[in-house]
Amino acid sequence: MIYGDKNLGVIVQNITGRQGTFHTELMNAYAREVGGRGVVAGVAPGKAGKEVHGAPVYNTVKEALREHDATASVIFVPAGAAGDAIMEAAHAGIELAVVITEHIPVHDAMKAIAYAKLHDCTVIGPNCPGLLSPGECKLGIMPAHLARRGNVGVVSRSGTLTYEVVDELTRAGIGQSTVVGIGGDPVIGQTFVDVLARFEEDPQTKAVVVIGEVGGNLEEEGVRSTNLPVVTYIAGVSAPPEKRMGHAGAIIEGGEGDARSKVRRLAALNVPVASRPSEIPELIREVL
Amino acid sequence: MKLLEYEAKRVFAEYGIPVPKGAVIRAPEEVAAHMEDLGDGVVLKAQVDVGGRGKAGGVLMADKATAVATARELFSREIKGVPVREVLAEERLPIEHEYYVSIAVDRSSKQPVVLFADAGGVEIEKMAAEDESAVRRVVVSPLLSDIPPFLMRELLGDAPKELAPVINSLYHVFQGKDAMLAEINPLVTTARGVYAADAKLIVDDNALARQGITVNRDLSEREREAEKHGFSYVELDGTIGVIGNGAGLTMSTLDLIEFYNGRAANFLDVGGGADQERVMYAVRLVASMPKVKVIVVNLLGGITRCDEVAKGIIAAGVEPTVIVRMAGTNEEEGRRLLAECGYRMLESMDAAVRAAMEVAE
Repeated sequence: MIYGDKNLGVIVQNITGRQGTFHTELMNAYAREVGGRGVVAGVAPGKAGKEVHGAPVYNTVKEALREHDATASVIFVPAGAAGDAIMEAAHAGIELAVVITEHIPVHDAMKAIAYAKLHDCTVIGPNCPGLLSPGECKLGIMPAHLARRGNVGVVSRSGTLTYEVVDELTRAGIGQSTVVGIGGDPVIGQTFVDVLARFEEDPQTKAVVVIGEVGGNLEEEGVRSTNLPVVTYIAGVSAPPEKRMGHAGAIIEGGEGDARSKVRRLAALNVPVASRPSEIPELIREVL
Repeated sequence: MKLLEYEAKRVFAEYGIPVPKGAVIRAPEEVAAHMEDLGDGVVLKAQVDVGGRGKAGGVLMADKATAVATARELFSREIKGVPVREVLAEERLPIEHEYYVSIAVDRSSKQPVVLFADAGGVEIEKMAAEDESAVRRVVVSPLLSDIPPFLMRELLGDAPKELAPVINSLYHVFQGKDAMLAEINPLVTTARGVYAADAKLIVDDNALARQGITVNRDLSEREREAEKHGFSYVELDGTIGVIGNGAGLTMSTLDLIEFYNGRAANFLDVGGGADQERVMYAVRLVASMPKVKVIVVNLLGGITRCDEVAKGIIAAGVEPTVIVRMAGTNEEEGRRLLAECGYRMLESMDAAVRAAMEVAE
């Protein structure tokens, strides 16, 4: 597994919000199931003294960390304040910030990610589902029951499409080491390159599924950077140009970043490219 | 959202970037009133949001005698299918040299990237493809509020130093206006100084509100309506309506329809954490397109709960067949609700798409 195991202490920023509360419960249920620590505290400015599913609430990240041993934060703070929340976490000593929030202005994301880097804080997301290491820990919103422990890493720009692929793998009897949703925005903290580098150092991971989509060329960059066997899938082969397909980052601009040319370039690197998610398990078996 | 050239130039001028004297006209005759101010030679530029505007006939030269006739000609044209409603009439600059400069968001380094070339007025992608060294490139930390002089020297090389303050001002525009792209092509030197002869500015859609932009012109009315309800929507030309949650899964569902030689009617991502009402509205919107024969709902709950989606589908109560595939958060409750109302549910997205194809045929 990468980014953390069951001993990871987690806080949730904006724990009193609807999604923060709901997913704190699910993260803690998972932690109980695997014997992990789960969410040890929450942050919500002005709400200190409350409790959410057993996690005490503090006004600031700094105050939460004074009382609790935690190194990771899952951020559900609304878009306008999320950049600030990332910087607050990094400044207070959080080492891993998982940012679920969608619609963060890209300039806020660039600044927060650069600031976090100065404080040695790794940022996953924004606009991501977080990560799940089956049997170890869950940070974010992935539906854990679809996953099963194993030796295939999954890294993806999507949320739900990732669950789809995990479901396909599990049904085919192929377990996962860690599933990472890196986010659908143009600027994200951890890119394919960063996650693949971690997988390469992880003894549990023997092969990786890379799930990309239209926009940019980060998939190709990632695949070029790793020595691990990789299977890829690119969503958006039927996407029209210059139309934003849901994700802020999923747009074919100036004739660049379309799925077909990505598929061509990946195939030219001799990397198997699945034409639909249900083909992935078979292709993974071939490279394992 | 893309700004038009004259809008971008107004922004540039606010930030101290010299732009040519100009006036926006909405009828050919209006140009006459500006000729005295603009001088004898003018450039008439169609204000349309298309790339390669010059080559497509959207930029015409004129003088005092021909200005109105030339403007009339330009207003009668369609530039790559877009009618000309506004024209920017500008003074013609005594250009000595043309350069290219742009600042964009670099996905790879997660920082602003500044591109500069000694030749302007051409397509930068082509120039870079032909000769990589022709385009210089520096990334700037987003934590800095100016381009540091050492990076500016690296960027400019032997180009005149007087370009530096203009490029730095462009960086201020980029940061201050939440730009995805700020471009000057060409950036020109004249005996009177440096000018932005053209201007391009794309504002981050996620920052429109704080930039005071209330209407995203890049979206159709239906797409804006969908956005108001919290989901992304793109209209396509097939017969199979698609509702998914998450952009990737929804795109993948469209791809799968194409894989089986079908045609999707739309892309609709209900977005993270969609509640009953949002789903109901989504189903009704897709069902309202007369061409839609069947709707596939492909849902994998994470932040979105299957039971909320099920309630939304049931509440919509639409005419075309709705085929549902759902898994994930609160899956059992969602399935139970739909089963009670007799909805057809399938185990995999492949099976759901194939079932929809049968109905559509």
